[in-house]
Amino acid sequence: MKVPAASFATNLRQRRLLSVCLVVIGLVLLFPLRSEAYAGPGAGFAVLSSFWTLFVAFLYSAYAFLTWPFRHLFRWLRHRQAYGKAQIKRAVILGFDGMDPELAARFIAEGKLPNLAKLRDQGTFRKLRTTFPPISPVAWSTFMTGVNPGKHNIYDFLARDLNTYLPFLSSAEIKGPKQTLKIGKYTIPLGKPEIKGMRRGTPFWHWLGKAGIFCSVIRVPVTFPPEKFPGVLLSGMCVPDLKGSQGTFCFCTTRNSSQKFREGGVRIPIERNGSALHSYIPGPEDPLAESSGSELRVDFEIRPDGAKNQARITVGAESFTLKVGEYSEWVPIKFSAGLGFNARGICRFYLKQLSPEVEVYVTPVNIDPGRPDLPISHPVTYSIYLSKLFGPYATLGLAEDTWALNEEVLDDQAFLAQCYSNHDDRERMLFDALEKTRQGLCTCVFDTTDRVQHMFWRYLEEDHPAARGVPREQRPNVIEDLYRRMDALIGRVMKQIDQHTLLLVVSDHGFKSFARCVNLNAWLHQNGYLALKPEKTESGDWFEDVDWSRTTAYTLGLNGLYLNIKGRERHGIVEPGEKAEALKKELRKKLDGLVDPASSRVGITGIFDCDATYAGPYVDNAPDLIVGYGDGFRASWDSVMGKVTTKIFEDNLKAWSGDHCIDPRLVPGVLFSNFKIADEKPAIVDVAPTLLKLFGIRLPAHLDGKSWAVTTV
Amino acid sequence: MSGETNHSLAMASPTSIIPRLSTLLLGVLGVDLPAALVILLSLTIGLLMVMVFRYTSDQKAIRLAKNQLKAHLLAVRLFQDQLPVVLSSYGSILRCTGRYLQLAFKPLLIVALPLTFLIVQLDRYLGWTPLPPGQAFLLKARATSPDAVNELSLRLPPEMSTTAPAVHVPAENEVVWRVVAEKNGEYNVIIGVAGRTLAKRVVVSSGLSRISPIRLQGRFWQRIFVSGEPALPENSPVQSVEVGYPSREIKFMGFEWNWIWLFFLLSLVAGFVFKSVLRIEI
Repeated sequence: MKVPAASFATNLRQRRLLSVCLVVIGLVLLFPLRSEAYAGPGAGFAVLSSFWTLFVAFLYSAYAFLTWPFRHLFRWLRHRQAYGKAQIKRAVILGFDGMDPELAARFIAEGKLPNLAKLRDQGTFRKLRTTFPPISPVAWSTFMTGVNPGKHNIYDFLARDLNTYLPFLSSAEIKGPKQTLKIGKYTIPLGKPEIKGMRRGTPFWHWLGKAGIFCSVIRVPVTFPPEKFPGVLLSGMCVPDLKGSQGTFCFCTTRNSSQKFREGGVRIPIERNGSALHSYIPGPEDPLAESSGSELRVDFEIRPDGAKNQARITVGAESFTLKVGEYSEWVPIKFSAGLGFNARGICRFYLKQLSPEVEVYVTPVNIDPGRPDLPISHPVTYSIYLSKLFGPYATLGLAEDTWALNEEVLDDQAFLAQCYSNHDDRERMLFDALEKTRQGLCTCVFDTTDRVQHMFWRYLEEDHPAARGVPREQRPNVIEDLYRRMDALIGRVMKQIDQHTLLLVVSDHGFKSFARCVNLNAWLHQNGYLALKPEKTESGDWFEDVDWSRTTAYTLGLNGLYLNIKGRERHGIVEPGEKAEALKKELRKKLDGLVDPASSRVGITGIFDCDATYAGPYVDNAPDLIVGYGDGFRASWDSVMGKVTTKIFEDNLKAWSGDHCIDPRLVPGVLFSNFKIADEKPAIVDVAPTLLKLFGIRLPAHLDGKSWAVTTV
Repeated sequence: MSGETNHSLAMASPTSIIPRLSTLLLGVLGVDLPAALVILLSLTIGLLMVMVFRYTSDQKAIRLAKNQLKAHLLAVRLFQDQLPVVLSSYGSILRCTGRYLQLAFKPLLIVALPLTFLIVQLDRYLGWTPLPPGQAFLLKARATSPDAVNELSLRLPPEMSTTAPAVHVPAENEVVWRVVAEKNGEYNVIIGVAGRTLAKRVVVSSGLSRISPIRLQGRFWQRIFVSGEPALPENSPVQSVEVGYPSREIKFMGFEWNWIWLFFLLSLVAGFVFKSVLRIEI
């Protein structure tokens, strides 16, 4: 007789349930993986996540393995020149923004920089000629394109609008979406913001990539918006914050003050509400608002604990405790505009003090690299990759908040802590890129050298106006420590590379003291070239009270001097051609060698005619003259912002006490290499052609630089 | 004759107003009571589990481990033309998965153990359907030795009767009876052997009842997982008595589901929803 089917089913069921449950117990104790499948959601997630991850990884890897021969063949067919004529297989370029050759030589001589000394002794150490003017966006643009500014179109951080005489960022333009839909009180953007890169010219890694040579490019200035090329790139200087500015910090305080920061920050009141305090972080403009000026904001709460000298801060879903003088980790911030429109960023909080007033500094809200609202890398996933690997990091171009130190919102220690925190992130990125780029180009620019020298040069000089009265023993060796730190970094990189890898350490310019400010607009006013409206002796910012109908010349930005040319500027009065040339000549004659009466030192050591300095299709956008300030001088804070004052020369009392926006001949950068380079007077414009030649790529004809004679191993 | 007595535990099907109302409501919604129970349980347990996971796990470390995993996944894509990097990334993925599972171990243990026992208990109600009146079912008794098989006898309550002679399966030491119950109720059927009697509960109902398909001797863990009745005496010549309840299939979304899989799926979905809402890292 057959055993009935129902019995089989019951048996089967019993066995199944029994075995399921036993397996759960057993595997829960031994392996969490399989048990999860039976233990419901908590466990199910883990197994699904793990399985999914492994599955995707397997698919990717299988794809990579299976297609590798074909892709390799394809690449070989397409790029059979890659490495074919190359003298090197790998190059590593460390960009130390603003590293000064004189300081480097001095510290080497004092035995403080053993790794740079090793490079000098075994390879090369030269001064590296910089660009006119010696400003980072200009010099790094030349570095990457191998052309003069007349061909890459970057002459300063700022350019001027010929209609309004107002400045705009020279490197990139961000516009709202082209089309919007108006529904009631909302204006709904249709599409994404339009980002237009203003830098022209082709970075040399594009040529390398096209030839099949992989490149990792990290934080090189003026690479925003990121351009497509066969490699990975993380944008650097000129990446905006979430407000679209180059960095606007937020200083929240219970102290009543109507005083505004000159630039770079906003003061936000903290309101008391029982035991808790409330404030907010201002964000980007509301994309749905009908009119501009409506700002999104994120509220946060502070609960001070005076006994422990700390406070609990709650912002959105995040809550953390900070001691006085302590930074938070990066905190995700979400600005909600309604209708599902959000802007996501990250920022850090710094609890400055709890008594007698409560003061909290908030960094500019950076674009979140893990969920970028604007592209900050190529491919977009590269910034996400770095964020997942190392955690959130500063994405703002000028991430070190020099304005906050200038405005005394941060003190020296807090600023340095911020700098080196960012620096550590960059180091991690560099070493990851080194690991991933076993052949090809790996380049990374560190801004720390620039920012720290800008802000701490005052301690190098006995009588710097910004550090007068600070006894010698209280002056920290910040800059020496900085150079030692960079030297140690070079040492670690040298350990990661073999003797066949080219290592270049370059800086875009050097550094000098910035002790005296020169208001060139004031000089132009006092000498009859710039006219103010009747009864005005000074102007507001951005030429607020300037009478353009009687103005022949003006200055805006750090080194540019412009003529008010008829037909070019909206209210131009100077006839182009001979009259303009004559005016230029006159200005050069009067300004070159201008002496500071207080110190009897030469404030301007050179005035350079742009027609003679630049060549290329974008020369028309250049200033008419480039002003080369002398050692110890720079354009005044007011002059840079288009303000006319009564004083031409004055002391610089700001923490920003060192600078390089002066006569380019006075601030060459550095060139260190582990290979011998024969050229005695290398220039930053030569880097691109040299790299192309070393990798065996034929040099494009339009390059201005010349490749160096490099002795490879 | 010593042993457990033969008495009927005839029990009416639920007559209270609440089950009726709920049945009516669920009928309107097109969901039967077991399906509704599974859905409700899945949502509740999904929520509970993520909460337990939240408070018993190192959320920061789990987030870090998951981020690392994602990073290495992205690396495989970003650096796909560089085989050594791909290989190294794959190794890192395995390492990070191990780390993630290690971090998930403690909360999983805390979550899995009570849930396992809960599932076992739920399975009593949802795993099988009670026997419908008038439909024959199989009753199977297994003896410890071949000699005892011939001595096995069956005594049924008056509401039940056999529909065929007993079938002996010597190879399995089993005797199988085909039985039918006339009306709803909970009954004890008595197996007699060597002058002793043993009772086995039989549920005849059209509703949702607690069901134990088998009564077992010894085997503590097996009883925990599959039996809902006291153990058979250690010295009894009967090893197990089993009733052939039909498996319950639950209709949901146009498919027939085993409740465990439906529970797993729904609780997983609920958990995913709640974890996102509550910002819990799993």
